[in-house]
Amino acid sequence: MNKPKIELHKIEKIKNGITILKDINLKFSSGKRHILIGPSGAGKTTLLRLLNRMDEPTFGEILYDGKNFKDIPVLDLRRRIGMVFQIPIIFDGSVKDNLTVPYRLRVIPSPIKQDELIKILELSGLQSDFLERKASELSVGEKQRLTVARALINKPDVLLLDEPTSALDHAAGIKLLESIKELNEVLGLTIIMVTHQLEYASLLGGRIIHLVNGTIVREQESEDFFLNSEII
Amino acid sequence: MEGLNFNLIDISYLDLIISLGLIIVAAGISKWQGMYLEGDLIVGAVRTFIQLLAVGYILKYIFAFDRWYLIIFIILIMIIIASLTVTQRQKKRTIELPFIVGFAMTAGSGITVFVVTQILLQIKPWYEPHYLIPLAGMVIGNSMNGSTLAIDRIDSEIKSRKMEIEAYLALGATARQAAGASIRAAMRAAMIPTINSMMVVGIVALPGMMTGQILSGTSPLIAVKYQIIIMYMIALSVAISSYLLTNIRFNRYFTSDHRLKEESL
Repeated sequence: MNKPKIELHKIEKIKNGITILKDINLKFSSGKRHILIGPSGAGKTTLLRLLNRMDEPTFGEILYDGKNFKDIPVLDLRRRIGMVFQIPIIFDGSVKDNLTVPYRLRVIPSPIKQDELIKILELSGLQSDFLERKASELSVGEKQRLTVARALINKPDVLLLDEPTSALDHAAGIKLLESIKELNEVLGLTIIMVTHQLEYASLLGGRIIHLVNGTIVREQESEDFFLNSEII
Repeated sequence: MEGLNFNLIDISYLDLIISLGLIIVAAGISKWQGMYLEGDLIVGAVRTFIQLLAVGYILKYIFAFDRWYLIIFIILIMIIIASLTVTQRQKKRTIELPFIVGFAMTAGSGITVFVVTQILLQIKPWYEPHYLIPLAGMVIGNSMNGSTLAIDRIDSEIKSRKMEIEAYLALGATARQAAGASIRAAMRAAMIPTINSMMVVGIVALPGMMTGQILSGTSPLIAVKYQIIIMYMIALSVAISSYLLTNIRFNRYFTSDHRLKEESL
């Protein structure tokens, strides 16, 4: 097993007096694909949001490369752990404008390299001629690819994906998953994806973490997991 | 000084009571057309009568007493009332809100009134109430409207842009960067009425203060010059107060480690 990139120890999350996650102990291995599955309300998205500090656990600790999350400056952490949301959020302007947002957010803006943008765009499944296109005119599938590409500009080690296919049609969903798989294989990116669609989970493959009512009920490699069809 | 041979007609209390007839006619139209505004019109008219008359007597006393601390006290009262009014108009009233508004309006109005009365007009003594009170009043009144719009807008913008803000935060943006578009939209909302009134002033309507000055016998040219300065004062004061307000207010939606506070939305 690869060394853990992110470790969760005894994580508990309580929101408005309701326990969303309880006693979560989990390791996400470096360079591996992980899929959080489970019925709606199981706590998948809540768990994902803890992984780049969009939310904080009520109890427990999270480690990144063995270092406590709280000892890493939050803005650095979010650049190392990118996130793609369920609904693609596109900023005003062209595809290029969207891709250069992460550069502009830095205190010392790093120079924008056109060939780097094109490489990232192509890795995310969009052609280089998309750069000058108006981002709002892309299809939903293309917009989601753009948000993946935009997250990659920060050169993260980990990419979190919260049901990235849910707003997409079936064909676009499958294409996106193929790109995500490629990103993992080519860049060695650690992938953590939330989905409730088993088809997509089996297609992406990797380690399946099955959550029900805020607890992990099963954790297995996808080949073993899908051998037993009674589990879900 | 021009306009000295103008004979100002004093308005007697009987004249004022007779002028109430205008309101009675308006109330009659309301009743006739079923607008159900008669009660509000009468209450509004009575309040106007009492409030303005009271202010008139207070100002008369203050002008005669001529003490700097009294003038500053009156201006502070104006700011406190304006701050409470802005707070009352908000859906999300927090304990700190009147203090933030008070601070922003004091800074916005204070800077502009200081620049105009002390550097530009160089009034003597520095607290000369005939200048300080009407100028501060005009600026505070307009800042109040700008502040109401700024807070209302920043609250609604952050709520409606929640997903966009989180997308920015996830890319490593600070809370300030993530809320940038909301802050700009709120500042624009606060400034636009002032800009609009600068565009049409004198064409669509004559401003109240200028009308007042002309009626009291001041040359229209002098009145206009004062009005120009007042418009510029209002623009700067609204810009300063809305900048401070929006930049302080947005913080309540974020934690110190750049997370959006779900519970405050």
